[in-house]
Amino acid sequence: MALRFELANIATSSTVVPRRGKLVLDRSATGGDSSAERPATVLETPTFFKYTRHGLQPHLVPEVAAELDALPMATRVQAEDFLESDTPDCVKFGDGLHKFIALDPADILLLDTLDPTITVRVAKSTNTYMSIDSEGGTRRLTPGLFAQLTNSLRPDIIIPPADIVEEPLPSLTQGKRISKSVARSAKWLEECMAALTHPAAVFAPVVGSHSLELRTMSAKALAARHDIAGYVFNDVCLTVPLEHKLRLVNHSLRILDASKPRYMLGASAPDAVLLAVLSGIDLFDSSYPYAVTEQGLASTYVLDQDNSANVLPHCLDMWQETMFADFGPLVDGCTCFTCRSHHRSYIHHLLKTKEMLATVLLQIHNTHWYQRFFADIRRSMERGSLAADAALFMQKYDCETQLSGGIGELNRLANRPFSELSTLSAQTCSPTTKIQRKRHAEPQVVTL
Amino acid sequence: MTATDEFGHLDTPLEASNSPALKFEVFAKCSTTKARASKMHLPHYTAHTPIFMPVGTMGSIKGITTKQLEALDCHVILGNTYHLGSRPGPELLEKAGGLHKFMAWNRGLLTDSGGFQMVSLLKLANITEEGVEFENPHDGQKMMLTPEMSIGLQNAIGADIMMQLDDVVSSLTTGPRVEEAMWRSVRWLDRSIKAHKRPTEQNLFPIVQGGLDIELRTKSAQELVKRDSPGYAIGGLSGGEAKGSFWRMVSLSTDILPTNKPRYCMGVGYAEDLVVCSALGVDMYDCVFPTRTARFGNALVRTGSMSLKQGRYSADLEPIDRDCDCSTCANYTRAYLHTTATKETTGCHLITIHNIAFQMRLMLDIRKAIVEDRYPAFIREFMRIRFGKTVPMWIVDALKSVNVDLTVPDSSGYLAEPVADDFQKVPNAWTEPN
Repeated sequence: MALRFELANIATSSTVVPRRGKLVLDRSATGGDSSAERPATVLETPTFFKYTRHGLQPHLVPEVAAELDALPMATRVQAEDFLESDTPDCVKFGDGLHKFIALDPADILLLDTLDPTITVRVAKSTNTYMSIDSEGGTRRLTPGLFAQLTNSLRPDIIIPPADIVEEPLPSLTQGKRISKSVARSAKWLEECMAALTHPAAVFAPVVGSHSLELRTMSAKALAARHDIAGYVFNDVCLTVPLEHKLRLVNHSLRILDASKPRYMLGASAPDAVLLAVLSGIDLFDSSYPYAVTEQGLASTYVLDQDNSANVLPHCLDMWQETMFADFGPLVDGCTCFTCRSHHRSYIHHLLKTKEMLATVLLQIHNTHWYQRFFADIRRSMERGSLAADAALFMQKYDCETQLSGGIGELNRLANRPFSELSTLSAQTCSPTTKIQRKRHAEPQVVTL
Repeated sequence: MTATDEFGHLDTPLEASNSPALKFEVFAKCSTTKARASKMHLPHYTAHTPIFMPVGTMGSIKGITTKQLEALDCHVILGNTYHLGSRPGPELLEKAGGLHKFMAWNRGLLTDSGGFQMVSLLKLANITEEGVEFENPHDGQKMMLTPEMSIGLQNAIGADIMMQLDDVVSSLTTGPRVEEAMWRSVRWLDRSIKAHKRPTEQNLFPIVQGGLDIELRTKSAQELVKRDSPGYAIGGLSGGEAKGSFWRMVSLSTDILPTNKPRYCMGVGYAEDLVVCSALGVDMYDCVFPTRTARFGNALVRTGSMSLKQGRYSADLEPIDRDCDCSTCANYTRAYLHTTATKETTGCHLITIHNIAFQMRLMLDIRKAIVEDRYPAFIREFMRIRFGKTVPMWIVDALKSVNVDLTVPDSSGYLAEPVADDFQKVPNAWTEPN
């Protein structure tokens, strides 16, 4: 496979530490003569995959997304968006997914199964398939079907289906349910890989939910395999408090092959990204800027080296009446298309009148801001000051950072300023999208 | 970026008019029909007519950036005074330096008077000599919109073209009420002209009324012409009246209105209506239809409308229209649009882009055909593709009145059989091109 991962600080081997690296996709090695001259795509990590819905970044058609420069050349798509039936007509994809969604051929395209922003799912998986809630009823995604989709869609990376335990409370997930999920996930991975004809790099889900024992089992099995290109943490659902999630992830990380890239889902909020990067996560996705946009918020958080400047809130609520006659840009000096072309007053007006341009303009700014944040993280790592900068960031925005804290700390986390869950909650209706509200969980305080 | 110049070598206008804020130059006239191709110099932009103006009710066109609208070659867009007057309101728009600056649009803008929304959206609107009395939908308070207030709002918005407040009656109304409304509209025009504070920066267009009554409409047009306005609108139509009456009223109005000034037919946007009305001498159109239908997953094509949600498109790898040069058709298949239409905002944006591009290209093709004096042939080709052999009677009649007889075969052998359908005939369902 032509996907390789290069770590800048290899010496750190298996310990749980932040890592700078490069994810490189060299297509010249695999393709025929036409692709021979295509330059390799290089992602500087830590970085993020662009989150998409039906293959496009939310609210942004390609010509508008083109206003965003310097975004990572990496896109994630979930198969569930294109699963209209249990036996989809793959002919419709024609020349592969890049072409189907009009994605830059140089983009590294990752195919996952489920949309990470949907936090409540009704359908349960069985031994043979992953259940997907679709508008037309429950769809059955078998490992074989996912392999078939991969063969027609021809993505660069896939995350095969796994049996995810969607349960935030450890007390309810002891014993059989988790062991069944580990066994099923392993079986599905085998089945999926056996049916692949397209040479996609496989990022395997590391499972085990709340059980450290079973996490060890899952990680050990995956660490022994050489046909796995990377690891994914997607079994620690969004409703689990971040610190607890990271403890579970770190447990697995100590066992896995440290030379391989690690992608964590449900950790896209800025504070979560910082903590996860400090734990050694390399890859994220941009579901956070989407979540923020859906609430009519404009991102303003900054990772910097000192707190001497005025501490501004981490975001602006564009619904606020104070925006009514504010003719300034969202953020002074911001170079994004929205801030260059429009003022706060107009965006406030668009939100109030439920105009779709509101979310288009906010999504541009929020995605630009997210990309800037990752660039800041990488620079901070190069200076060797990420831990200190992150601590300052947490303090500045009043985040709970009890990484080593007791279990009693967890119930405070519902008030995290950056919580991805609360931004994806159904409490406030999206300004312009008809979001299926029933599919989103109310943020809940988890008491253990 | 300048507009595609389809006028080519034409640099001497055949006719022109010069108002303080509008210069209109007719560069080409069809030698058969009443169609003409012109340049309308507005304070913010030079628009080419016949023109279709997309509607951006609240100061944005459904999810499309102003940069995209420029790339789509839109010359003028519409804002609705009633909506903008309540949100964000005239004070803010004035503070922002007008709607152009507020929404970052540097080309032409046109605002309606707000009267149509009073009547169409609000129950219990009571029209008196003073103005339109209505119940504020937010607090139930009685409010009044007078011609002076409408102009005040439109002066604050600052559009290149403003419309007078008129006494709108349904086009289905008959009897003395129509005459009363016609004369009242003339009186309100005079009050509007008096109230207009920025005549060197904004143009005020009167509206020809008179329902479906030949005498009243003639009288109305004659009265308005006396006011020597920079341009004229034809109103009170497209309200469910018989199409046979519609085209006759349009044609009657264009016969009276001065030939050296722009004529704007309000609320018209179906492709066949644009082609017919242009033959009758209309220069400007607006309609919510192309952008609204996009949100329901319908893409406009020359044969009619393509409902992309239909199962038949689920594995169709063709673009909406192979000959369309819009970014949607360049990038996406019907199969892709089928999966995303009506589900994602991006699905809606992609079809909206196509539909605006469709309208803009149709108008460009109309202008080119007029400039090259082959408009009758263009009309025949258009009707052949859209309706095949059976063309609605009203279209055949309207075109016959301007010397294009679809019932006589042309060089290609095409001839149409009129269908006695009075209402809009459903255009051809999309069939696979061979």
